[in-house]
Amino acid sequence: MAYTLELDRIRKTFDEFVAVDDLSFQIREGEIFGLLGPNGAGKTSSIRMMIGITMPDSGRILAFGEPLSRRTLERVGYLPEERGLYKKMSVLENLVFLACLKGLSPAESERRARHWLERLELGAWAKSKLEELSKGMQQKVQFIAAVLHEPGFMILDEPFSGLDPASSVVLKDVLLDLKKQGKTILFSTHRMDTVERLCDSICLVNHGRSVLEGNLREVKARYGRSSVQLEYEGELPLLKDPTLVSGSNDFGNYVELRLALGADPQRVLAEAMKSSTVRRFEVVEPSLEEIFIDTVEKTKVETNGAVAHA
Amino acid sequence: MRNIWLILRREYLVRVRTKAFVLFTVLLPLLMGSAVLLPTKLAIHTSSTRRVAIVTSDAKLGAAVRGELEELRMSEEDDAARKLKSTPSTGQKADKPAFVVRVEDKPSDALKEQLSGELRDNKLDGFLWIAPDAMTSRKAVYYSRNGSDFVEANQVSRGLRIALSEQQLSARGVETAEAKKLLGPVDVDTVKVDKSGSNKSNGMGAFFLPFALLMMIYVTVLTYGLYVMRSVIEEKSSRVVEVLLGSVTPFELMAGKILGVAAVGLTQISIWMVAAAAMGAGAMAMVGDLMKDAHLEPAVKFLFPVYFLLGYLTYACLYAAIGAIVNSDEEAQQLQFPVTIPLIACMVVATSVIRDPNTQMAFWFSMFPLTSPIIMFVRTTVSMPPMWQIAVSISLSLVTLYGLVWLTSRIYRVGILMYGKRPTLPEILKWIRYT
Repeated sequence: MAYTLELDRIRKTFDEFVAVDDLSFQIREGEIFGLLGPNGAGKTSSIRMMIGITMPDSGRILAFGEPLSRRTLERVGYLPEERGLYKKMSVLENLVFLACLKGLSPAESERRARHWLERLELGAWAKSKLEELSKGMQQKVQFIAAVLHEPGFMILDEPFSGLDPASSVVLKDVLLDLKKQGKTILFSTHRMDTVERLCDSICLVNHGRSVLEGNLREVKARYGRSSVQLEYEGELPLLKDPTLVSGSNDFGNYVELRLALGADPQRVLAEAMKSSTVRRFEVVEPSLEEIFIDTVEKTKVETNGAVAHA
Repeated sequence: MRNIWLILRREYLVRVRTKAFVLFTVLLPLLMGSAVLLPTKLAIHTSSTRRVAIVTSDAKLGAAVRGELEELRMSEEDDAARKLKSTPSTGQKADKPAFVVRVEDKPSDALKEQLSGELRDNKLDGFLWIAPDAMTSRKAVYYSRNGSDFVEANQVSRGLRIALSEQQLSARGVETAEAKKLLGPVDVDTVKVDKSGSNKSNGMGAFFLPFALLMMIYVTVLTYGLYVMRSVIEEKSSRVVEVLLGSVTPFELMAGKILGVAAVGLTQISIWMVAAAAMGAGAMAMVGDLMKDAHLEPAVKFLFPVYFLLGYLTYACLYAAIGAIVNSDEEAQQLQFPVTIPLIACMVVATSVIRDPNTQMAFWFSMFPLTSPIIMFVRTTVSMPPMWQIAVSISLSLVTLYGLVWLTSRIYRVGILMYGKRPTLPEILKWIRYT
């Protein structure tokens, strides 16, 4: 299996601060990969190294099986988290300029830009200055800038932020279409629902380290414990019973329980029915959000301990 | 190279298309021109013949003063204006008289009241009260609505002085005609001597033209340097830089930007030069004889773009580094000041350099790389310095520039990706040492 991107024990420090520490993962060709992590976990620092803006202090990065170079970078598309376009230039000028920097001819750049603008329903805005567009529209322009040169590998930092639901669907379809064409996509996001729907593999980073990594199904299976979603009226004293429940998350309309190791869901249902009226009871595989929060909490305790020792 | 070119082109096109560029291109020469011309034009055209009364019990003295004042013509009344128009002092008698004078020979308090009333009612512009002991005390009082018109007061005082002196001279047996000749004005013409021979130069023009050129180079160097800084801040704060660095190196980005803005500056200067050449005769007529006498070496035309480039590139590097260090225009305000100090120093010493371009101070300012592009250029507009001095100053400038490019590109490539707290000096030094 060919890898589009391989990170091999990447480390990056800024003075005392370790932004990325011993980070390794591989992204397979043609998959959608989710790079997850809380704020300040080292996502942006990692991405900057992947697109050659900064160099790792140590470790190795391979793109398309080769070390990063101008040639490999021309096959990478990048959508930064914050808008990175010229406000005073028109939409079309922005796109043509960035595509030319990626090696396209001006004519070809313009042809593709117009095509993409039509596809993302921005055709009427081609000549408008960027600052006249709404945030969501700017985000779409930024996305076009990342894919215009038809890169084999796209790095998208929060691509759905600022998009209304309709635009989100359009963008999601575009991404799935790109995947069908064999392109590789890396997402960096906090939005677990998006990740669950789109990603094949994930890497969860915290404090610059990978804390969870692999195929999404495998990650969930490895996490092992399943959850129960429960809609009820009344009291639930069983939430306090550590032999049944290891944690819970109240979503308002329902509560999600993480079952304790070896706990039987049937016993939970029986207990719940004793003290309340159960409207809905569903055994689900743990949501990625559960895993995310749980894992981040765990590593926080560990690193806090480490800091105390240091 | 392709990347530098693309960045240069974008920077150039975006700036040239702005209204600010068009305004700056049109307004700066207009401002410079009017700063030089307006005061002189105003001095020449706003004054009208003044109605003056002379009060003295000595009717003969009164008549003499009147004679002196009525001899003055509009064209001669204002020393500065006269020099600016550079008309020979004997010519243009067709001009209106500067003064209409009536003599009152019965001084009394009532007369004083009456004249003051006329002054208030705008029937009179001023009156000169000569006390009986004026001959010995050489004192008199000039009353006018506007006490600050020193030119007018000066002329009245001059008339009285000549009249008094004539009286005293004739009392000692000197003929009136001879006395007049003795007391007549002395004209001093300034002549600039340079390699191309001697040229009669007019003091005013010889000062104002270099001054206008000084302002031009100062304003363009400063403005375009600051454009670079703002452009860097814009790309940094809008995060465009993150997108660009996926395609270009920091050095390409910086070089393209600085060269792009330089191209804008050169375009503007070319427009000015072409416009000046095209308007040639017309402009000369507009400026009057003022500029005709301010002689410029032909080489100055070529030195302007050269020194603009040297000065601009030097400061563009410094400003680019500042732009990379800061996060916002506000932060940049504080940091840009120290960098601007040498430029301000140029403006401070420029006046004395124009008056005397060959002092020690002028020499060192025209060698120090942060001031040389401006001061050396100003020196060339006054009189061409020795070739070796120009060569040394340009060489020093180029060497400094080379060092600055190296230094700035190292600060730049780290700085543009740093957000948040403004770095301290030790941190910046650390950036420079990063490999």
